[in-house]
Amino acid sequence: MPRTTTLECPGCPPLRALTFDVLGLIKVIEARDEDNGAPKVVERWGEPDSSKCVLAASFLDREVDPLLAVARTSGMIEVLSPINGDVRVSIRVNDQTDTKPSDDVIVGLHMFKRPRLESVSRLCSLLTCTTRGQVSITNTEVPQKHPNNSSDQTPTTWNVSGSGNVLCAKVDGSENYASFGGKGVEINLWDLQNSRKIFSSKSVTKSSIGIFTPPWFTSATFLSHDDHRKIVAGTNNHQVHLYDISAQRKPVMTFNFRETAIKAVSEDPDGHTIFIGNGSGDLASVDTRTGKLLGCFLGKCSGSIRSIARHPEVPVIASCGLDSYVRLWDVESRQLLSAVFLKQHLNCVVFDSYFDEKVAVNGAQVLPHPEDILEMSDSDEPEVVPVKRKKAAKAESGSKKSKSKRKEKKLKGESDSD
Amino acid sequence: MGLKRKNNGDAEEEENDKMKKPNNNNEENARKTVLPSTIKNKEKRSAVYAKLKQQKKIEKRKQTKARDAAEKQAIELGQEPPPRQVPKTIENTREFDETVCKPDDEELFAGNDADEFSSILKQGFTPKILLTTSRFNSTRGPAFISDLLAVIPNSQYYKRGTYDLKKIVEYGRKKDFTSIIVVHTNRREPDGLMIIGLPDGPTAHFKLSNLVLRKDIKNHGNPTGHKPELVLNNFTTRLGHRVGRLIQSLFAQDPEFRGRRVVTFHNQRDFIFFRHHRYIFEAKETKDEDPKSKKSKSEPDAMSIQQKVKTRLQECGPKFTLKLTSLQHGTFDTKSGEYEWVHKPEMDTSRRRFFL
Repeated sequence: MPRTTTLECPGCPPLRALTFDVLGLIKVIEARDEDNGAPKVVERWGEPDSSKCVLAASFLDREVDPLLAVARTSGMIEVLSPINGDVRVSIRVNDQTDTKPSDDVIVGLHMFKRPRLESVSRLCSLLTCTTRGQVSITNTEVPQKHPNNSSDQTPTTWNVSGSGNVLCAKVDGSENYASFGGKGVEINLWDLQNSRKIFSSKSVTKSSIGIFTPPWFTSATFLSHDDHRKIVAGTNNHQVHLYDISAQRKPVMTFNFRETAIKAVSEDPDGHTIFIGNGSGDLASVDTRTGKLLGCFLGKCSGSIRSIARHPEVPVIASCGLDSYVRLWDVESRQLLSAVFLKQHLNCVVFDSYFDEKVAVNGAQVLPHPEDILEMSDSDEPEVVPVKRKKAAKAESGSKKSKSKRKEKKLKGESDSD
Repeated sequence: MGLKRKNNGDAEEEENDKMKKPNNNNEENARKTVLPSTIKNKEKRSAVYAKLKQQKKIEKRKQTKARDAAEKQAIELGQEPPPRQVPKTIENTREFDETVCKPDDEELFAGNDADEFSSILKQGFTPKILLTTSRFNSTRGPAFISDLLAVIPNSQYYKRGTYDLKKIVEYGRKKDFTSIIVVHTNRREPDGLMIIGLPDGPTAHFKLSNLVLRKDIKNHGNPTGHKPELVLNNFTTRLGHRVGRLIQSLFAQDPEFRGRRVVTFHNQRDFIFFRHHRYIFEAKETKDEDPKSKKSKSEPDAMSIQQKVKTRLQECGPKFTLKLTSLQHGTFDTKSGEYEWVHKPEMDTSRRRFFL
């Protein structure tokens, strides 16, 4: 009898993740307890079209009326509903006619949790950054229905780099600061209130044999949610730098990781652990207090990692990249929980943390038709309008939380016993 | 202590009793099935082993006979013969792979339309190939290059000199080449092949082995200058498809069938076998010499002569084996390159898992 090794997947806790690929498809993955936590693709939004390749995505993760912003190669930004994939607004940010969209693509996108202008309700603010360093904050109205192509306010625009290509842009947890970095662009920190640069890193000195490496940052993130002063940046030179803007302009810590360029960096909510992924598919977690490698995530990952996402509550991270798999890992034991094959090169993955299994299961049938929602919105108070799966969940949100906690404990127990 | 021991002893005795009962029944059987490997004397062991082997052989022959007889009987009775067993091979017991492409996958077609090769494969113009080598190149290297030049239409050889590969890629882009092939030579023996798609196609690194040049093949043919036909076998997974398309983009999409020239890339267990043949269909006029045709002898001669088309192959060009080691996104870039697929030792957990 042939010996076959079955891929052991312990299964993951109930969760919902969204992935974005090069053909512009958005796929929703859900893991439920009924199928032993084996994640499955439950929905696919969009038609395969290479000109709609997703470059960046930002997910507004909140209980009521979550939104999803997606930047595409064509220069369009679409704001979608992450519940049913309806396009709410599509905006064209790149207004300059002299630059081709292929020349100046969007590299960073962030959707603000609270609108920059308080005067208008139901307004969403988007920060976009292109390779040339054009940063703009756009305010748009998100209508309930009828997607329109209007951006009524003139965007606030400024440039963050004189020369070089910006490759990474990240907004911190308080949404007051943003950091940028790239090829030939040092790590910059900008105050978004008055678009002023408050920090710029200094390149590392020549090595002992006199080799100077020009800056080439491929990914950056803020170390903790509520502190904008510590920035972790991955370089093309397979190094990870930790910057503390209150200390010095040079990195306070630098360490190497393997031999290929760092392509994705993500932070853990605990404030000191980071996850790094590189161009040959190695994923590892590092403690930035000591600079020591905690361990690698081993799981036959063979393609470059483009994006890492940490679940806000459950200790699970998701990684995706050029090998077209989304892999879900346990943070503590660093074991592969499961992998889903999604056929295309993936550019981005995000978690939807307000996912409640039962409601979602029922919601598939109960979910009111968009028109019904509109009618309801007309009659009811506006707060109930964007109602979705969460309406029913609110009553038992307490029990749900305890449940998720139990889950966490269980996971921890497992990892301890391991 | 004593008590304990006694107890233990009792238990053992009981166990022995239990064991003995079946043993007594099958004592002869047990003696027969002594494993040869447990015999310490080599002569005895080999004798027992030989005997065992002989028995097995006889049994097998018996089984075949019985099977054939059953088949014959079934045919005589006009029944369906019992289905023949299919031998288990590594290929057909391959581990389940979710990346294997399904024929009705619209995302696959959309992906194919969007990839780097679609412009070359759709337009139908002859791709322009730049052939070069590693820096040091001698003996079998140049011979292999000249063989490759004969195989791939519209390919040009450029001396490597001391140019950086990145510079060559730039040059190729400027001169409208569609692919670059680099033959890597180690100890005067070609051992690696790199195919770079231009202008932004992927880079595939292959290990090259079992190279036999044209002049070393007995009774080899000399290929004509016609555009060859291309056969790609068993590229089933998404990665396989991609590699297949990369290879496809090296050859002209409009083969000249007059040339009767065929180039084969056959994938088996992740090894890609390259062969280059000439074929011919020969219409042979054969006279039936069977006893059955005695009747036909009385009939006119034209009927007795049967047209029989026979296909004959003649090998020409080199033969070699490729094994994919990595597929890189974008053109050659070791430092900041992103890999779509790299072979890692941790992936070799089973003999029955294949990636192409």
